Amino acid sequence: MIGRHWESGGSFIRELRRDPLVQLLRPREQARLLLITSALGLVLWGTLAWQVGMPIWGATTMVLSLLLVPGARKWRADLRRHGVTVMVLSVILTMQGFHSLEHVAQWVQYHVLHWQPQRSSGLISAANAEWVHFIWNWSVVGIVVLLMVRGVRNPWAWLMLVWSVAHTMEHTYMLVRYLQLKQELGLLGVPQISAQGLPGILGRDGLLSTNPTLMRICGRVPGLTTTSRLDVHFWWNTGETLLLAAAAHRFLRTHLTRE
Amino acid sequence: MDRQRTTYLLLLVSVVVILLLLSGPVLRRPGAAHSQSGPRLAGTERTASVAVRAERLVASTPCTGRFTRHALPHATTNGTAAVRMFNSNGSGLAIDDLDDDGDEDVVLANLAGPNSILWNEGKLVFRKQKLAHGDSRAVNIVDVDGDGKQDILFSRHTLPPTVWRNLGGDRFVEGMLPGVDGKVYATNWADVDGDGDLDLVAGAYDAGLEKDLGYNFMFTRSGGGLYMYENRGAEFVGQKLSERAEALALALPDLDGDGRPEIMVGNDFDLPDEVWRRSLGGWSLIAPFRKTTHSTMSFDLGDIDNDGVQEVFASDMKPYDQNVRTLAQWRPMMAQMPHKAFRGNRQIMENVLQIQGDNGTYRNEAYDRFVDATGWSWSAKFGDLDRDGFLDLYVVNGMIANDLFHYLPHGELVEQNRALRNDGHARFRHAPEWGLGSTASGRGMSMADMDGDGDLDIIANNLGKPAELFENRLCGGAALLVDLRQSNSPNTRAVGARLVLHTSAGSYHRDVRVASGYLSGDPSRIHFGIPDDATVRSLEVRWPDGAVSVAKSLDVNHLLIVTR
Repeated sequence: MIGRHWESGGSFIRELRRDPLVQLLRPREQARLLLITSALGLVLWGTLAWQVGMPIWGATTMVLSLLLVPGARKWRADLRRHGVTVMVLSVILTMQGFHSLEHVAQWVQYHVLHWQPQRSSGLISAANAEWVHFIWNWSVVGIVVLLMVRGVRNPWAWLMLVWSVAHTMEHTYMLVRYLQLKQELGLLGVPQISAQGLPGILGRDGLLSTNPTLMRICGRVPGLTTTSRLDVHFWWNTGETLLLAAAAHRFLRTHLTRE
Repeated sequence: MDRQRTTYLLLLVSVVVILLLLSGPVLRRPGAAHSQSGPRLAGTERTASVAVRAERLVASTPCTGRFTRHALPHATTNGTAAVRMFNSNGSGLAIDDLDDDGDEDVVLANLAGPNSILWNEGKLVFRKQKLAHGDSRAVNIVDVDGDGKQDILFSRHTLPPTVWRNLGGDRFVEGMLPGVDGKVYATNWADVDGDGDLDLVAGAYDAGLEKDLGYNFMFTRSGGGLYMYENRGAEFVGQKLSERAEALALALPDLDGDGRPEIMVGNDFDLPDEVWRRSLGGWSLIAPFRKTTHSTMSFDLGDIDNDGVQEVFASDMKPYDQNVRTLAQWRPMMAQMPHKAFRGNRQIMENVLQIQGDNGTYRNEAYDRFVDATGWSWSAKFGDLDRDGFLDLYVVNGMIANDLFHYLPHGELVEQNRALRNDGHARFRHAPEWGLGSTASGRGMSMADMDGDGDLDIIANNLGKPAELFENRLCGGAALLVDLRQSNSPNTRAVGARLVLHTSAGSYHRDVRVASGYLSGDPSRIHFGIPDDATVRSLEVRWPDGAVSVAKSLDVNHLLIVTR
């Protein structure tokens, strides 16, 4: 079956066009506007970052604001065409996609460009803050719950819920530690020192890796207690994006057919 | 299964597989490269006849399961009210039997005050003898002139080292080593050129020299860098191996098993550690380690898994726990630390434990074996503290520097020394129950059986506070101590000899060396801890020239004096 499926590129493209996620995306619909804003964004980014000397995060934020124009048009179209649930799904898919791109950028900076961990903070480094991660991840949990309430209920969605709650727990733990460290630095009279970047529950120097019982029983658990913070969150987000896409695919397959 | 679902499943699996492959190094299983190969002793299998004298060790004081702390009559002082770099680095110490009375004596270096010899009168009673001056860093106890009596060498701030030649009794005469003019900091000794006598390897601490002498010191003949001084009897002939050094530690292990020691230099700051290998073409740099410490403070070698191959431990600075209070004390200082570009940088700011794999390459397994973080670590040494047949690790730590820690009371980062117990699988567990968590800002540290009862006691030279002796009162196990003597060699204490004690519980490997850790001299008396239920089968000694001696019918809890 698989062999037959791959036997010609043309049939694959046809299959892809019929895919619910691609149908939702409707690449042709906003293509021109998206291309124009992307090209403008690229020029703007280059000018701001290279000529004006604006920090990369600032230039990237400006470009993202520009891309909101085709985004907003697309989501409005989704709302008209498919209703609130699909529009919310469309928004979260886009946002999580961009969020994952940021983690891919961090991953490339650290593993490919060999930057120092504290420099490998993606394209919008100013947003790489504990508060932002905390709010973003709780928002994701909230949106997933909302989607489930509105009918996006399938095994992938349930898995996504579990995954995103676990991810958010880790960020909650990190935010608590961040605030504690900030308080301690304040008590020492050095409140200007950054308290960002503490390990979380998983990964190297994380809570699990320093747990005496776990240390005694299993020693270091490869990946779980050895991976760097940057990699831990790359994997969290990769998983989250894939699960969200799977849940959306399953939901849209029946929903779009019904329409 | 429909075609669409199959396509997406295939895509999903492909993405996951690609990501897993890319993250291969991150997910590598700890210990995968660990070697189980046997000892690699070089040299011909000549046998050497020896005389063995056995003396029964004294009975231990009742055990309590803890170490008992004793303050010693010596405190390394800085001379100024505020401690600033690089006085923060403190001084070392050395332990050996200086008067041949069978008891281990202690020599402690000082910065502003005089150096001290603590003569061991037995039962942990010490008589203090002040030496004329301080201004000293490293201490080595070594028979420099081959007359059978142990001499003392001190490295100094901005001057060449001094040697105190042992005239017998408690009499010494101070002098210089002819030909040794380097302003060196870390020192060590071994028969580097294989001619039977001991050569001096010495490394400068350039940052300290620059602070005290100005940048021009670099252009003088005896400026900074790394030196090998070949012992030619009447004088030492120096060879400068490296123009730059920030040497806080020097080790002389035989990493490649060719019977000749390599020179390992542990450099502070961004200057990478170096390993020098001698071949027919002269000295050349080799790179056996993929990862090294960033600010290397000390080296020690020990066979932590009793497989006959020594592991290499280097200490660095990393908070020993992830408590926010601990991290808050470190953060502002770390923000000031300069870091070189990350690309290609082999240095990491944590302890490393280099373990040799089957193919001879080393891999850092400090994190996997729980020894990566021991605070602002200085001297770190292996020793079988609980006499279970496995080497444990002790690390002294802490920092006092008003310029670095201006936000902490008295500019001091107060930390508890770390005792790490080997669990028998070459993994280490923090052992606070041993009572070794002193907060006295230790710098130099060494281990020896100070009360002759067969267990390893510990002495630390602290900065600004009295030196401490930790009397070992742990329970269980037995011991065998070994003194090696070479009557027909200038290397009278057989520095470089390797010993293997074969027991019913396994074989334990040790070697005789002059110094390890941070600025700290080791006793020439070798200590073997033996588990309770084990019996001793034989002791194998491979002398520095490769000849082998084997002693059998040995009883535990004895000191063996093996004379060749």
